[in-house]
Amino acid sequence: MFVYEKQLQYPVRIKNTNPALAKLIITQYGGPDGELGASVRYLSQRFSMPLPELKATLTDVGTEELNHLEMIGAIVYQLTRGLSEEEIKKAGFDAYFVDHTAGIYPNSAAGVPWSAMSVAVKGDPITDLHESLAAEQKARTTYDNILRFCDDPDVIDPIRFLRAREVVHYQRFGENLRLLTDQLDSKNFYAFNPSYDKDCFKNKKKK
Amino acid sequence: MTERDILLKKIGTLKFAIVDIDLFLDTHPGDTETLKKRDAYEAQLMPLVKEYEAKFGPLTKTDNETNTWTWVKDPWPWDTEA
Repeated sequence: MFVYEKQLQYPVRIKNTNPALAKLIITQYGGPDGELGASVRYLSQRFSMPLPELKATLTDVGTEELNHLEMIGAIVYQLTRGLSEEEIKKAGFDAYFVDHTAGIYPNSAAGVPWSAMSVAVKGDPITDLHESLAAEQKARTTYDNILRFCDDPDVIDPIRFLRAREVVHYQRFGENLRLLTDQLDSKNFYAFNPSYDKDCFKNKKKK
Repeated sequence: MTERDILLKKIGTLKFAIVDIDLFLDTHPGDTETLKKRDAYEAQLMPLVKEYEAKFGPLTKTDNETNTWTWVKDPWPWDTEA
């Protein structure tokens, strides 16, 4: 269950519009390594996790990603407010504009709509945690690439915040993986799927 | 920054500290020092939320103390008055 709080996780206050930059940043809304995919991935992976710490981490990180989705939406919204047709054309924002006007639609920087093909839920906690670790790194790289094209401090500030969160989440998922493997057969983590096959855990209590 | 902005920033900072602590506690649930820190931040946060909500309207849909549904009031989080 979720409760909405009427506040962004980190403030977004952008004074100057920049539709060309918005076109890039929207990839973190609905692109292959964006925040929508992040929340769907973690909030879906958590159901088949065998340890309480892992269920908690995926629930909390997945929820935080929803905050980040909202922040990216706010950034794109504020970068594209009140544009003239001239500005839209000059910035190359016209292709997006004909389909969505200045609405916020989950697509990548290249205009490809969000796809569940960009997330994986394998039902094996070792596989899924590696997917999540990789996802945090891919998102971090994307933020690094976005920062290469930013010169407005109003945009750089919240993007840097989001980038830092990817690093923290990566750290927590790494701890998840260690918490799990510490309880499995240390000579062969990969012999079984600890969420499906029986007797994978050293103490044999967990499913 | 307006009074509203300053108060909201203080609240956001404390909420963020708690979110980050919570992620740490998810993988270190027995860390009593961190649990204490969480309680301390939570204690600082509560009066600020009360003050904000009394002055500027609800952050969550809790008690609505007026005759109108103040939840709908602008600004929403993605709006800037700047």
